[in-house]
Amino acid sequence: MASYEVYSHPALIRYKTSVCTKATLFLVVVLCLTYIPPLLVAYRSQGFWIKRSTYEEQPVVRFQYQTLLVAATSTQGEYVAWSTFPQLNNMLGANLRIPAVTVREEDQNQDGKLDLLVFQLQLPLKPNEQVYSIQLLLTFSYQLFRMSTVVMQSLAYVQHSSCVPGAKLFISGDLRLQQRTPLPHRGLYNIYNESVIDGSSPFASAYDLENIIRTYQDRNLTTVLSCPMPLWTIGRAAAAPFELKAEIRYPVEGLMFDTPDSGVWCLIFVIVSALTSPSTYRPGFWETIKFAWIQYVSILLIFLWVFERIQTFVFQNQVLTTVPVPVGKPHMS
Amino acid sequence: MAVTAVVKSDPKFVYLFLLLTVVTANTTESDFNTTVFDAYNFSYNVTESTQPPVSESTTTAPSNSTEMPNLAAVPLPVSGHLPSPLTSADRLCPCDEHMDVCDINCCCDRVCNGEVPLFTSCSYPTVSGSKQMCNHDVAFYSLSRAADGYSELLSSAQKETNYDIFCIESQNRVDGLSYPSPALPTDSNFASLFKQFTSFIFGLEKVNQVSSVNLQTSRGYQYGDVIVTAGAAAQRGILRLPTPGVTADCVDNSPAAFLKDQSSRCSRHVVLDQDCGHLPALSMDGYTDTQLFSDMSTDAAVVPVVASSVILQSADHTQTELKITGRGNISPVLINPTLCGNVVLKVLYVIKYNPHGKIDNATVSVVLGFVTEAMLPLEQEFQVMYIQAGGGDVNVHYSGNPGYVVGLPLVSGTRTADGIVRSIDLRDTLSLLHSTEDQDCLQGPHQRSPVLFGQDSLSGCLLRLEDGLNCTLVSQELLRILRGFNYPYYVASFGNSPLDNILDWVQIKTNFNPTEAPSCSIPLSLHLEIEWTKYGSLVNPQAEIVSIKEVIQSNTSSLVRHTISVRAFIAEKKLQATRLLMKHRESFALCVFSHRPCCPEAVVSFQSEAQWPSSQYLLLLFLVIGPHLPSMPNCPLTSSSLLFDSTAAFAYLSFPINTGTLCDHH
Repeated sequence: MASYEVYSHPALIRYKTSVCTKATLFLVVVLCLTYIPPLLVAYRSQGFWIKRSTYEEQPVVRFQYQTLLVAATSTQGEYVAWSTFPQLNNMLGANLRIPAVTVREEDQNQDGKLDLLVFQLQLPLKPNEQVYSIQLLLTFSYQLFRMSTVVMQSLAYVQHSSCVPGAKLFISGDLRLQQRTPLPHRGLYNIYNESVIDGSSPFASAYDLENIIRTYQDRNLTTVLSCPMPLWTIGRAAAAPFELKAEIRYPVEGLMFDTPDSGVWCLIFVIVSALTSPSTYRPGFWETIKFAWIQYVSILLIFLWVFERIQTFVFQNQVLTTVPVPVGKPHMS
Repeated sequence: MAVTAVVKSDPKFVYLFLLLTVVTANTTESDFNTTVFDAYNFSYNVTESTQPPVSESTTTAPSNSTEMPNLAAVPLPVSGHLPSPLTSADRLCPCDEHMDVCDINCCCDRVCNGEVPLFTSCSYPTVSGSKQMCNHDVAFYSLSRAADGYSELLSSAQKETNYDIFCIESQNRVDGLSYPSPALPTDSNFASLFKQFTSFIFGLEKVNQVSSVNLQTSRGYQYGDVIVTAGAAAQRGILRLPTPGVTADCVDNSPAAFLKDQSSRCSRHVVLDQDCGHLPALSMDGYTDTQLFSDMSTDAAVVPVVASSVILQSADHTQTELKITGRGNISPVLINPTLCGNVVLKVLYVIKYNPHGKIDNATVSVVLGFVTEAMLPLEQEFQVMYIQAGGGDVNVHYSGNPGYVVGLPLVSGTRTADGIVRSIDLRDTLSLLHSTEDQDCLQGPHQRSPVLFGQDSLSGCLLRLEDGLNCTLVSQELLRILRGFNYPYYVASFGNSPLDNILDWVQIKTNFNPTEAPSCSIPLSLHLEIEWTKYGSLVNPQAEIVSIKEVIQSNTSSLVRHTISVRAFIAEKKLQATRLLMKHRESFALCVFSHRPCCPEAVVSFQSEAQWPSSQYLLLLFLVIGPHLPSMPNCPLTSSSLLFDSTAAFAYLSFPINTGTLCDHH
């Protein structure tokens, strides 16, 4: 009569030994070999966890109502200029030309953060003047809140020149953040919360564009006006003013930041300090562990499987002397 | 939503009426949701009535404020009650822009009964309430053509169902879907509201009156202060030093700052026949006729600015010093319509101060010259120097203390029997030929630029030879031009090497021997190779020049080619070793970088004999090369100094050359 497997279950065999035997030593060695190498493998393969990460945030940007405008009015290098800095305006003397300026900042999607600056400027010109080049500098207050609180003052600079005198310059661009080093993952980052232009300085060197741009570009965190298509319209009527219209958007930025310090010693330090004094461990601990344990466990599984086989082989074949205890006796009572 | 918009714009209306039209015009263009429209209507009404009461309130405010301070919470005269927001769909009308006037094609406008037959379409065919509700009212407007060709309005309202899982079934809060009611401006909260909604405005910059410096305090000048001058009628002015501002043009109003040595070149647009005698910036009197106050107190002594030297520069840049006898003859003179004489080209103020911040004396030296049409726009140079009184010989400039500072000229001199002789004139240091506009090597005037420490530089000129030239003469002349007139043969090891210590000076080695070749050789390039090293402790290394070599390449063939380019080239080469000299003869420090896995471990060798500058170095010891060389960007010096008992005086610490990442010790 044909037989078939109606049911199966694994049987548990216990192997017993005393403390000071080879089998105990073998067990300790296997445990060490199972749990420590995955740690090293994970650490040696390009660091243990992510050192640097990115996030997205729309900054809180406000136009600071500081403006500096220089316009070349002849090909010989004559110019007119204007700024919102009274000291500079005093120094400009006959070259000062006060334009009519309108500014509006819009919150287009009603989320409480401004999205667009519309800056319009009309520069009146004398009959013998034409505009050949424009240099415009606007300053902004720029704030980020999601990871570390970033408070800084930044600028947007526009320069356009043409050999043909212009009637209008239209600029539509984004105020983009440029990051040289990652941000810290928490805390207040306000080392650049200082005036880009020292408007109270009576010295002409404070308004030298070279000085301004040099010190600004020294910073690790700057904004730059990305305007790939400045539009220079020619054909100005004799009595018409030169018009400058700038639409500057404040887009969502992808930001780079440092995740908490990494390294295997750091992990041990974090764990030890978390265990010994739970109140002082760093807030980045769980963030660190979150990425670390996935890597560790995935490698550990392979080691567990391999050493399971080895242990089964060793004890089953009595390579090391142990006392096998067979499957529990059937219950009598 | 709507009400907040009102509050935000309200302070703007108050302080900037000019912006009013722009703001409202822009608001109408945007696509309105239901409640925004109401807000717009409301704010418009308020602002319309804003202007007249402002003037009234200014007259009534003083009487109110004196007698009844308890009126503070009463709303200001220009603010009123806020209407309750509309929400029902059949009452909403986003296109109703004019009150009591029909808006064309606005089908929901309730005053358009007579004009409806003339409509062509509905600008808003549907108007709905809040779309977040599960059931919301929608009003539909459409036009149909009647038999006579005129339009008829068909309007209907119905409930629409929102199938979103998270729709709102019912809401019992009154302002749940609208913005919270804004605070009405009152006397007490106006300032805080104003501050809240106007963080940045035009005209925030405060005017700091430079002339109104605090004259009461009897104090001397401090670093960065403007220097007060005494004008004609007891007026106080400021010492001004023209500098370039937003352009390269001279800004005449820029003040000179106390203790800030400043040197500027700026250009000036001049119309010769109009400005020659009249523009004060061209006249020497404008710079010499000033008197400085010795400090900032009211009873400060007056220090006249003395014209120490007036130099007249001719058209070909030769300079002669003028005897200062009278004033009359050195103001600018228009010699002919295209030539103006005695124009200020360069001004140098030297101001001597004492430790109390008082000005002891002030001198000015001026270079005058002739200006032709070709020199316009005119370039002028202005300089101010501050010298401490009793501060020793200030004319000797050092280039470091002790190690060279990057960007300062090499200290050079010639050897005599007593030691080294060096000129205090900065132009007499080791220098390179500077390229000129005519590019000709043999024709002067030759400009030279000093060799600056740490900066590689290159320049050149063109040599045009004609047949029949005396080769020896050309060779000597070229060598003289390449090397300069006062060619120094010694360069100081340190920026402040003393003149009497000949061991601190390095001789310029040369490979050129003009007498050795029987045939004539013409030098074609001068190449200066300066080797320097870092000396001293690792935390504060000092740059030291260890050797300087002059390589002159010459053309020994006969003079066939007519155009030969001549280049002078200097390269400074950093030694691939950093010397570490210890003060104690018995021990030397060995820096160990290996505390962090980032650092390139050093290969360390040291010399067994305490002789320096001997060139015999003995390689004794290698340290391990670390495993993580390329991945680690910088190496903060976390070194602990290991002290070895040895008679060696210093050690060489060199890095693996192929890593390219030397430790930055700063």
